[in-house]
Amino acid sequence: MNPLIAADLLAPNLGLIVWITFTFLALLFVLKKYAWGPITTALAEREERITESMEQADRALSEAKKLQADNTKARKEAEAEGQRLIREAREAADRLRSEEIANTKTQILTLQEQAKQEIERERDSALDSLRLEVADLAINAAEKILNENLDESRQKKIVADFLSTLSKN
Amino acid sequence: MKLQKQNLLAILTLSSLLVVPAREGFAMQDAEQHAEEQEVGNIAAEAEDHAAEEEQLDPVHHGSDSYYLDFTPIGKLQLPRIFLVRGNDGSFGVEVYRSTDSAIDRGGYLPKMEEGVHSVLDAKLEPDNGHILIDFSLTKHLIFAWLSALIVAFIFIRLARMYQRGIGRETPPKGLFQNMFESLVMYIRDEIAVPVLGAKSDKYLPYLLSVFFFILTCNLLGLIPFGATATANLMVTAVLASFTFILTQIGGTRDYWKHIFWPPDAPVFVKLILIPVEIMGLFTKPFALAIRLFANMTAGHLVILSLIGLIFAFTNLFGPIVGFGVVPISVGFALFINLLELLIATIQAYVFTMLSALFINMAVEEHHQHVPDHRESDLGRLVEAAVPVESLTS
Amino acid sequence: MDPTALAYLGAGLGAGLVALGAGIGIGHLAGPAMAGIARQPEATGDIRGTMIIAAALIEGVALFGLVICIILVFK
Repeated sequence: MNPLIAADLLAPNLGLIVWITFTFLALLFVLKKYAWGPITTALAEREERITESMEQADRALSEAKKLQADNTKARKEAEAEGQRLIREAREAADRLRSEEIANTKTQILTLQEQAKQEIERERDSALDSLRLEVADLAINAAEKILNENLDESRQKKIVADFLSTLSKN
Repeated sequence: MKLQKQNLLAILTLSSLLVVPAREGFAMQDAEQHAEEQEVGNIAAEAEDHAAEEEQLDPVHHGSDSYYLDFTPIGKLQLPRIFLVRGNDGSFGVEVYRSTDSAIDRGGYLPKMEEGVHSVLDAKLEPDNGHILIDFSLTKHLIFAWLSALIVAFIFIRLARMYQRGIGRETPPKGLFQNMFESLVMYIRDEIAVPVLGAKSDKYLPYLLSVFFFILTCNLLGLIPFGATATANLMVTAVLASFTFILTQIGGTRDYWKHIFWPPDAPVFVKLILIPVEIMGLFTKPFALAIRLFANMTAGHLVILSLIGLIFAFTNLFGPIVGFGVVPISVGFALFINLLELLIATIQAYVFTMLSALFINMAVEEHHQHVPDHRESDLGRLVEAAVPVESLTS
Repeated sequence: MDPTALAYLGAGLGAGLVALGAGIGIGHLAGPAMAGIARQPEATGDIRGTMIIAAALIEGVALFGLVICIILVFK
């Protein structure tokens, strides 16, 4: 290593300074015009596009969420409505059934009552007709007895028999 | 594994492509040199002698700038020399030669063979009539700076074309190329420009991107075989730092200038001390930027070459057997440092960009006094706190 | 003593001291940063970024010193 050449490392070289200055200026100019301009605008554009589409996606997502919420709400409402309807229908049915049952019961009761009254009436009429029949029979029997000349004891016995039958009824 | 093999193949093909025209160039150069040698004679012969002498490995020499591309052991490709000359009669002239040899042989330039200069290629040239005003000669570092500028321009114009075609604009980015560079661009934008500069990041983003990728490419080019690191040249880093400096001063708000020339919240005599410190701080910031990048890139190469140089040192001292024994150790360490360099190449590009952004932000920021609420102001205070220390040490 | 030798000596010592200072500085920086990361892994990115910047500033000071050492040797 010799001092003189080593000092070259720090020695000024005006020509080189001029050359490098122009070189770097030219590089700066060329790159700025043909490279950095298009590259940075393209990158910025792309980023803008990406942020925009992200925002759009966000918006779409929130819209979808809103829509979903709306749907859920509507569904819930519809469900509630359905429930209500079913409940009402059930209640109406219950009411109808109980009314029906009550109606039927009263009808049955009325029918029973009517039947009872009918039976009563029938019995009464039957009794009446029986009484008439018995009276007829008694008259007939009396006629017979009268006709055949009855003794005293036999007559008494017939009347007693007849009277017992009467009291039985 | 297969991919790596393919990469290796690609690299080999590329390097052979690079080497073949270079070799032809040398053949031409040599033929010309020999032809001219017969005409001019002793100067060229002297040059040959010195070229033959210079065989040993010199790390500092390797890292420093030169007027040829060094493809040793294949050869050296001399670069054109351009001089702005002021003749003895006071006339200005621009003289262009295709190589250093040509300048010596045809232009009548005399190499000043000072002590320690082994080759005419490294010597200072003196015209026979008048003196060189400015040496506009192309140098190794300039060529590599151009190369990296071309690479950066090629990559990002191609990337921009992809975006213009709609790939990555409407669709997701496609393929390795676009994804890789897009993530880098996004990193600079989202991790450096926007957090530091905030609303003003749009204005300075192109500069930050350009400077980051230019430095990164320069740094990485130094790591490939036969490559040179343009950023290991103080001139290059100084120019880059000057750009940051100029942008900072142009963007400076009233508050910024007031802060420098009449610092608020201080007694008058403190202000008188602070003003020179602030003005010094103005210049130390870009100076530190330049030195930091330069020293980092130079140091790494010095260490690698010194480690490789150990092989030759041991061979010279103890003979070839010991020399061969040192090879694995040396190469192993050099490989490690090389990997470290890869990291440093990226970190330094990041640091340069980040500090540029911070310096610019310190100037363009609208001052909200005593509102240290966000992250950038923390970094800003950190830098402000560190600057006076730097200005004292320089 | 030969002034050149003194310059070399000064440069060597200076370089050593610069390395020492930078080492201590970056050590002081990195230790708490690691502790911070260990405590709050979610702040890793912020801490790392700030750490690199601060390390770069320390390194900047160190490199100023180093450049002076280089100038001492070669001039």
